[in-house]
Amino acid sequence: MDNIVVGIVSGKGGVGKTTLTASLASLASRDNDFKPIILDCDVDAPNLSIILPPKLNTEPQIKDTYTTIKASFILEKCVHCKMCIDDHFCEFNALSWDVENATPIIDFLKCEGCGACKTLCPEHAFEIHPVKSGEIISYENDYGSLLAYGRTRLGSTTSGKLVSEVKSFAQHLDYYKSANLTIIDGPPGIGCPVISMLTGINYIIAITEPTPSGLHDLIRVLELVDQFKIPFSIVVNKADLKSPFQLKFKKYIKETQYKVLGKIDFDYAIPEAMSYAKPVVNFAPDSKAGLAIKRIYENLKKQLNSHYSDL
Amino acid sequence: MGNKPKIICVTGGKGGTGKTFVAVNLATMFKNEGYKPLLIDGDSENPNSYLLLGGKLGKREEVLFFKPSINEDNCTKCGICAQNCVPHALLHVNNSIPIPILAVCSGCKLCYKICPTNAIEASYKTVGWIYELNERGIDLLVGELKPGEARSASVIDSLLERLDTRINGTMSNYDVVIIDTAPGAHCDVEELINKADYVIPVTEPTKFGLTDLIRINELITLLHKQFKVIINRSNLLGYKNQFFNELDAIHVDIIGKIPLHDEVVTSYCAGVPLMEDRKDGEVIGPAYEAFQQIYEEVKKWINIKNTN
Repeated sequence: MDNIVVGIVSGKGGVGKTTLTASLASLASRDNDFKPIILDCDVDAPNLSIILPPKLNTEPQIKDTYTTIKASFILEKCVHCKMCIDDHFCEFNALSWDVENATPIIDFLKCEGCGACKTLCPEHAFEIHPVKSGEIISYENDYGSLLAYGRTRLGSTTSGKLVSEVKSFAQHLDYYKSANLTIIDGPPGIGCPVISMLTGINYIIAITEPTPSGLHDLIRVLELVDQFKIPFSIVVNKADLKSPFQLKFKKYIKETQYKVLGKIDFDYAIPEAMSYAKPVVNFAPDSKAGLAIKRIYENLKKQLNSHYSDL
Repeated sequence: MGNKPKIICVTGGKGGTGKTFVAVNLATMFKNEGYKPLLIDGDSENPNSYLLLGGKLGKREEVLFFKPSINEDNCTKCGICAQNCVPHALLHVNNSIPIPILAVCSGCKLCYKICPTNAIEASYKTVGWIYELNERGIDLLVGELKPGEARSASVIDSLLERLDTRINGTMSNYDVVIIDTAPGAHCDVEELINKADYVIPVTEPTKFGLTDLIRINELITLLHKQFKVIINRSNLLGYKNQFFNELDAIHVDIIGKIPLHDEVVTSYCAGVPLMEDRKDGEVIGPAYEAFQQIYEEVKKWINIKNTN
């Protein structure tokens, strides 16, 4: 059986990606139809592990990643010709001149590791090497599935590459071979990390809220999803928000005929579940929000069945 | 030439905590009091500040990014370009003309610089746009990433170049610059924080809010900037007490708290900033009052001169 990969995106941050992912992960873990693996690809702010902590007596595995390449400078080889500055070796403005010592200075944060300085310097006074860019943490979580997530090292300019690394890490696990569902909590935005995440995904859930920013960012992320030709559906969070924008929002969703997987009305059970660090469907299974997410889960199963009938 | 304006960066780590809300309303307050603010929307993946001001994006200028273009007549198929390309963005199969793989090209121009026969020409693609607007009396620069492109850093660079032109020009009369960032702690956020004198992370009293705040604080500290935190939705129960205890323990300086209130949601969705000048007699709610206090604290902190 194939492993179906479902990703949760939103464009806008803070609309409920992780809340929804945690509950879907919990529901899939106790569903006999699935053996799921859960990934958190929001490598800048990975929070899913707070809600899906390790099972008792389980030690998380931590693996350092080296997806970032940075340049370094070898003082002994430098002849102080200043060619690197005068000829503008670096397109990213990571090289500046230290007048006192007559040597170049590399700005670690700006360096993209392209290797231009290394190749262009006639004295070979630059080198490039991989540096630690972050880590991948994995463990069997409290709800009986495997969770893997990435966390960038600050200042490592690596978010997109680390997302790819998390996915490839998961695919090489023995657990993955016997799993038949992957659920990925995505990063906000539509940039490099989201593009990396969308590669190889089978189904997308785009979660949003009925506000101008929520809709604006949804449209942008769906434009990206469309470029990848991935089937998708929508979840509306805070669906009953008292908002002068509700009419416009509903009209837009209706006109585009987006498939709506479900709606979640505002419910204090959600922040409360969050404060106890539990998935809503476990903390308050019969709350409005808990029931709404269960319906979303059932609808998701139907969608996956219709798109990937071998499930 | 006027004084250099104070630069404030509003950020936060976690998404949806109210960064744009704070940035737009700070700019509105400065405008209300007769200062000249410049608002920079640096969340190029999802620029929303103009929506909160009820505006529309209009005329735009393209942000261009280098791409290698092969002049087949000049190419000797030597493969030097491909051998030296670190991200493997040039595919060179035996004795054929190299094929650029634009998705992984870093734009370093090395191939263009080292080709012995000048067979690689610099050509450019659009990776995003910059908009220069004025909404509700506030000058606004917006950077937008083109969906499908990954080079948001180029949009940010272009945005910061324009910021420099605006504040360094002889005609410059801005008192304060307010920069809104994307969520996360990645390179775009880093570059914008680096540009600022004062940083305001906006967070909320949840576990996620705390975890992401600690991370963004680390980044701000790494960049040697001073910061004070705004707690949005400060009346959100559940984790609140623990949240404030934790902040206390790590000595985080809080500049103010904004309670969640209907007036915030209404103004947010109507495209009228909460702090926009009110008609006489309009009811002022707790969020409005809280924001007013924050504004006064910010003014003290950045030590801005009084307007005449």
